[in-house]
Amino acid sequence: MDIEQVKERAGPREFSPKDDLPEEYRKAATRMIQFHANSEIMGAYLEKPFIRQAPSLDRKLAFSAKVQDEIGHGQLLYRAAESLGVKTRDEMLDELAEGKGKFLNCFHYPMDSWVETPMIAFFVDGAAMRRQATLKQSSWEPYAHAMDKVCFEEGFHVKHGEAILYELMTGSKKEQELTQEAFEEWWPRIIQFFGPTDDKSTHHDFSADVGLKTMTNDELRNAFLNAYVPKAEKYGLEIPDEPRIRDNGDSTYEVVEDDLDWDEFFTIAKNDYDPGKGQIDGRKQAQDAVEWVRETLDSHEQRFAGGTQPQAAD
Amino acid sequence: MIWEVFRQEQAGEYHTHCGNVHAPDREMALMFAEIQHGRRKPTNSLWVVPQKEIGEVDTEEANFGGTTDKSYRWAQSYSFEAAAEEVADSESEQVQAERQRGDD
Repeated sequence: MDIEQVKERAGPREFSPKDDLPEEYRKAATRMIQFHANSEIMGAYLEKPFIRQAPSLDRKLAFSAKVQDEIGHGQLLYRAAESLGVKTRDEMLDELAEGKGKFLNCFHYPMDSWVETPMIAFFVDGAAMRRQATLKQSSWEPYAHAMDKVCFEEGFHVKHGEAILYELMTGSKKEQELTQEAFEEWWPRIIQFFGPTDDKSTHHDFSADVGLKTMTNDELRNAFLNAYVPKAEKYGLEIPDEPRIRDNGDSTYEVVEDDLDWDEFFTIAKNDYDPGKGQIDGRKQAQDAVEWVRETLDSHEQRFAGGTQPQAAD
Repeated sequence: MIWEVFRQEQAGEYHTHCGNVHAPDREMALMFAEIQHGRRKPTNSLWVVPQKEIGEVDTEEANFGGTTDKSYRWAQSYSFEAAAEEVADSESEQVQAERQRGDD
């Protein structure tokens, strides 16, 4: 298939590993899915310390289950990416450890306090879920298939995040104030989750033409704001004055881009933001520490499989 | 001697327990099983197993499914109105899965 045929055929779950796809498609899909997989992993590492800091046993169990789910999502997505034949899962994990693998802006920021957890577990997960629901229509079938399971599990994460937010916003005055402060700090980052407005996005056109993604940054941001601003207000959070967001009155919004720190955003996008570097190194140390497990499993597999390569993703 | 009988309806499916027969040996057990359990219901294959060879553990000795209440894992345990359509979709899939658990 050449790229024109791909564009012609592009539709939900249209392409699978049995199709002969041009390199341009396979590379674009790999970049997109690898980014997504990396984000699942880095998000899990960001939240992991809060399993210990959870204020009750219920929260600890639920938080631990959620973090475990996110690692699983990462693994599913690396498989979906691997099946494009561009990079192996090991290569992608190594790239992440070496600081070459890119991931979501929100997961480059440090998270220090329990009051920050709903910013990820409710708002960022909610934003991610909005996007993931549309990716069930992606043209790379293994990617869309992975989204079925991811979205199945994600409803629990978002509602659990909402339960934490509710608990904090109905707690002591101090808790409410700290939660509001955390919200003000995280809100611009959450808005930037959806990237620059459509006229500044670099990768959208090609990905949309070949059906890898089906909605634009602006459409996703609008849908997110329509659903989550009323929720934030319901729990008594005040939406910060900046970035200015104009409600057009027809379920669309305009974000004043100059109110957002795009220098920081693009520094993060290059993995050059200091706290983000710390997160990357932290995960690298974990990867190095369990090297012996991978080696043991690899040699075990080779002994029993007569040295053949592991099966490709199902 | 009692032999427990397991019937498979179609190739590739599981053999499921369907009753037992009295027989002195395996050959006759298979013959009786064929007559008593393979005649009226759709059958692709039958197994016979000496009853004393079957091991059992029941609710008196075991906590099936563990002792931890895992309701925290389900979206429907959190009584908030779903923030968005996709959250509601995920929740209804989970409700469905919870209902069907153990049916497969």
